[in-house]
Amino acid sequence: MSLPHRSVANIRSPAAGGHHHSGGSGPSTPVRPLTSSFASPSSLRAEEDLLVIEFGIRKVQVGFAGDATPRGTEWFGPEEQRRVGDFRAWRPDYHRNWKHAASGKPWGRDHELWQADVRGQDLGLVSDKIERALRDAFTRYLLIDSRPRKMVCVLPSGLPVPLLSTALDGLFNRFQAPTVSLLSSSIAVAVAAGVRSALVVDLGWTETVVTSVYEYREVHCSRTIRGGRMLVEQTHKLLAKQLDPTKKEPDAGDDSHKGQEYALSFEECDEVTNRLVWCKPCHAAPISRDTAEGLPTVQEQDESESRGHAFSRKTSTAKISLKSTSRPVTLDLPYDLLTEPCENTFFDSRYSPSTFDDHELPVHLLVYRSLLQLPMDVRANCMSRIIFTGSCANVLGLRGRIFDEVSRIVRERGWDPVQGKAAEQTRSNPKLKRGTRQGISSPTGVTPQPGGGQEQDGVWHDAANTTPEIDPYEEKLKKGSNKKPPPVQGEMRALESLGAWSGASLISYLKTPAIATIDRDHWLQHGAAGASKASDVDPKTQQRQSLGAGGLMRGASAASWTLGVWGAH
Amino acid sequence: MAPLTPYTYFQCPCSDPSTQARPGDATGADEVEDDERTFDPRAPRSNYSLYPLEYLLFCEDCQQIRCPRCVAEEIVTFYCPCCLFEVPSSNIKSEGNRCTRSCFQCPICVGPLSVASHESQSDPNLLPAPDNAAPPPHAGSFILTCSYCHWSSTEVDIKFDKANGIHAQLAKIRNGGATRLTAKERKERRKDLLHAGSASAAAAVAPRPEETPVDGQDLDLETQFSNLKFFYQSQLIDATSGNSGLTSLSDLGFSSPTSLSRIMNIYTGGSLHDKKSKSRVGTMREALDSDEGLKLADLDESGAIEKLQEEGYDGTISTKQRLSQPPHLGELHLHGNSRFTSQLRPIPYLLRTKRAKRCPLCRHIISKPEAKVATTRFRIRLVAGNYVPSISIRPLNMPSASSPALSPPQDTLQPLKPVQFLLTFKNPIFEPVKITLATPARTPGRFASKVTVLCPQFEIDANTDVWDEALMKDGDKDNRKRRKASADENGQYQAEAGKIWERGRNWVSIVVEVVPASLRLDTLAITSPAAAEGEAIDTGPIREDEDVLEIPMFVRVEWEADTAGDDIGSALNKEKDGKEKRELAYWCVLGLGRVGQP
Repeated sequence: MSLPHRSVANIRSPAAGGHHHSGGSGPSTPVRPLTSSFASPSSLRAEEDLLVIEFGIRKVQVGFAGDATPRGTEWFGPEEQRRVGDFRAWRPDYHRNWKHAASGKPWGRDHELWQADVRGQDLGLVSDKIERALRDAFTRYLLIDSRPRKMVCVLPSGLPVPLLSTALDGLFNRFQAPTVSLLSSSIAVAVAAGVRSALVVDLGWTETVVTSVYEYREVHCSRTIRGGRMLVEQTHKLLAKQLDPTKKEPDAGDDSHKGQEYALSFEECDEVTNRLVWCKPCHAAPISRDTAEGLPTVQEQDESESRGHAFSRKTSTAKISLKSTSRPVTLDLPYDLLTEPCENTFFDSRYSPSTFDDHELPVHLLVYRSLLQLPMDVRANCMSRIIFTGSCANVLGLRGRIFDEVSRIVRERGWDPVQGKAAEQTRSNPKLKRGTRQGISSPTGVTPQPGGGQEQDGVWHDAANTTPEIDPYEEKLKKGSNKKPPPVQGEMRALESLGAWSGASLISYLKTPAIATIDRDHWLQHGAAGASKASDVDPKTQQRQSLGAGGLMRGASAASWTLGVWGAH
Repeated sequence: MAPLTPYTYFQCPCSDPSTQARPGDATGADEVEDDERTFDPRAPRSNYSLYPLEYLLFCEDCQQIRCPRCVAEEIVTFYCPCCLFEVPSSNIKSEGNRCTRSCFQCPICVGPLSVASHESQSDPNLLPAPDNAAPPPHAGSFILTCSYCHWSSTEVDIKFDKANGIHAQLAKIRNGGATRLTAKERKERRKDLLHAGSASAAAAVAPRPEETPVDGQDLDLETQFSNLKFFYQSQLIDATSGNSGLTSLSDLGFSSPTSLSRIMNIYTGGSLHDKKSKSRVGTMREALDSDEGLKLADLDESGAIEKLQEEGYDGTISTKQRLSQPPHLGELHLHGNSRFTSQLRPIPYLLRTKRAKRCPLCRHIISKPEAKVATTRFRIRLVAGNYVPSISIRPLNMPSASSPALSPPQDTLQPLKPVQFLLTFKNPIFEPVKITLATPARTPGRFASKVTVLCPQFEIDANTDVWDEALMKDGDKDNRKRRKASADENGQYQAEAGKIWERGRNWVSIVVEVVPASLRLDTLAITSPAAAEGEAIDTGPIREDEDVLEIPMFVRVEWEADTAGDDIGSALNKEKDGKEKRELAYWCVLGLGRVGQP
């Protein structure tokens, strides 16, 4: 058995031996990605480990950089907020009176670390929660002592500065982190899928955020309140209706209004949501994702019918025993009913798309719109790299449904931002077509527009359906570069990502410098107010700083630092 | 409702907001009234700063209470709580935070699992050969069983060849019995592939041999991650090697040719450098196949949906079970993972640590357990209970003849009816201490009870030898034992303001009178202090624990300590008589009982 501090080096660079075989030009020494070999031997010690922390609204995940998955996850719940030494949850006669506990706060709000609306929020409480969760996770899962360690935070890029500042305060003050780097979760998700551009659909707890990442940059971001919380509320509505059918149901529009009486506890409702709620496949225009558009319609019909049969055949019911209701009750719910919450939350197809406000667009429309708003190149890349992430991506069938719905819209409308009757008329009018088409659709359309049907007349050709000229230089370039096929573009495709945490773990393991790396001293002096804008900070200086790990360029460290996307005021 | 025994909580001074604020940070208007602010035990934040006395430590050098939030920890030993096997710290890094022997928890009930041999007759394939007296060891002859809920690993079709080293065996088996490659095997394979690749690269023009991707879309979490990691590393090397960029700083080995060229670049100006860096742009591409970690999402989940309908609610796992499942690296599908009970896996025990604790300021050790796993002894343990007066509470029942029949059950307090409680302060140190108490006249919160401490200032004698008391003279003893417990005309003892109720060798009892607030929401508009100030009143229903009568109490302890010789720091500024004044001040919370609800 070798000494631990010796063996660490062996562990942390597992593939170091094999690198130079992979086709670099000329002789080179293998790169050791993590351990900085030129620093003093003391830096080989274990405390050089980077901690990666991903903050979510309901949970925080921690682990070491270089691991595939986080080592531990801490959830924020009311039981985690008790005093130390309060063991009532373990008493046999204990049952939580959720009606008492939850009153005063919106239903289920005590399961959240923070709300994006920081008005009236107790930031001290937030920092207490973070501290307790992290301390617990460090002790229980990471088994580390309290020596200072560098940390990497994975955060959604829309996080308000006060919350970010609270989290950083905690990390610097309570855990003495020497530096904290910030990574945007959507970029980390893209990295964890192995792509440079992606459309990250984060079906999160409070909201669904659709972020377009292009060449590792967030270029567009839109959001809707349709997320996990709404799903649980909708599930509650369904269950409450089943429990007491006589009670007048509040209007479908105001789901989260304040005076609503809750029939069962948030915990139980959350559990039912996690276990049973599923999503119906797309009915309106069923296609199988992998088949091309040219398939005969008859076959498609067949498939949809057989699929429909598969679901409708079993009209069996789910037995759900609920305990937190006024008296324990066992519900028999048909499985078809259990798709309702998902339907209402994410699609809401009862209403026409024009009725939705900007903040409550159904998810499939949101995805389509965000794609539509992207420049053509970006869209071509993003649409074939759709990544679903977030807790609600675990709802059975939901990802497929969203994907199908978006594909359907794309097929029906193409990439034309103009829609409606007048646009339809313009498009179908052969007189107008010749003039306008060249003007409008060639800059917007990536694929030949399938919805219009104007190509069939074969009268005219545009750039989309001419055969591309063979560019000799392009060919040569292609040959010169590695013999991989060109990147997939312009077709709808969904990818699987390992998740934001794993992406951040990869990024930190590869020692990629983060734009926003905050020094403890700077933070303690100035706080968030000391940050300069991301554009003002010379990334080269930053890079040098973080690459020269071990204080190579510490003396010359730039006084300016940035919070990256979070600091944009 | 469970009866409530009176309790005391201590707030560690480290949680004081004034000590935490950063000077540069403008926290606003709260700071102005910081001094007068009384501690509110019902504020949600106070749950994080209050500790029972047993959880607190004490730093002798800083003369300060240290709570779990304000100590620096060092790890003495890592061990498995199940097999009590000590794990070297290097293993934690390489093999993770769980026991890698055969210690597992049941995924259903978290009880311990034990290895049992599996009866071979249940296996139909083996029936034709019953005449073998000793059945030969065959695949899958051991299982894990839970003796509490009778879960066994056969439910997820996992069987083991050997009775030991279950963890290593489990890593190779997927639920259902299919095998998978472990990380090590995969690494070996990649190495082989690489060697083959470099050999063929030397021979042929093709840099990468097009081998059949063995796994195809069959990427589990671990494989995808390691594929990605490998892919990015090779991309970075491609980008770095051959030219100098800033990234090549990371291999600043002195013998490295790239560092030489980097230095050359620095001194020869940018022309060469620029050309190369231009050519470098775009070398880093994205992953293209599953060998590089790209995985197309399988969006068709109809199989799982059908399974959901077949298995029903009971076939799915509860949130609690799901959370206790460790991240399973061999998981095939990233989404919808661990949904059904058939996807559960035995949970390897989380390792635990023994930790030594240091004061963060003076770095003195304040708690250090024995390194051996099996002992529970401590080498050093400075618990706060040995330094801070403990407070115990009991209701003061007037010894009157008529009351027992009328008195309500002990655990609920009648609203608006004065009750007296006896607080007993016990001095653990060897010097007499002077204690000053302060409480707000009305408890904070919506339901303000009135609190009166009848004797807020008193002295407690030193924690001397027990024999001293016994050997004390009788008259002296009486004088000290019960001071001024004068009987009134009914023969009852009456609590008097400014007087101690009872006193002993190293303890003093005082009386606190409380008028519990009424928990009626309709009268809240009149009674609440917020109403008097014209603020909005919260008339929501009673929250959890809002019916518990809790008194915040500021305790200040003063004593004169002998500074002679015990520590160097204070010896320098020693006073003439060798005595030093010390004080300790902190907030406490006294939980007296539940107020009866209307």
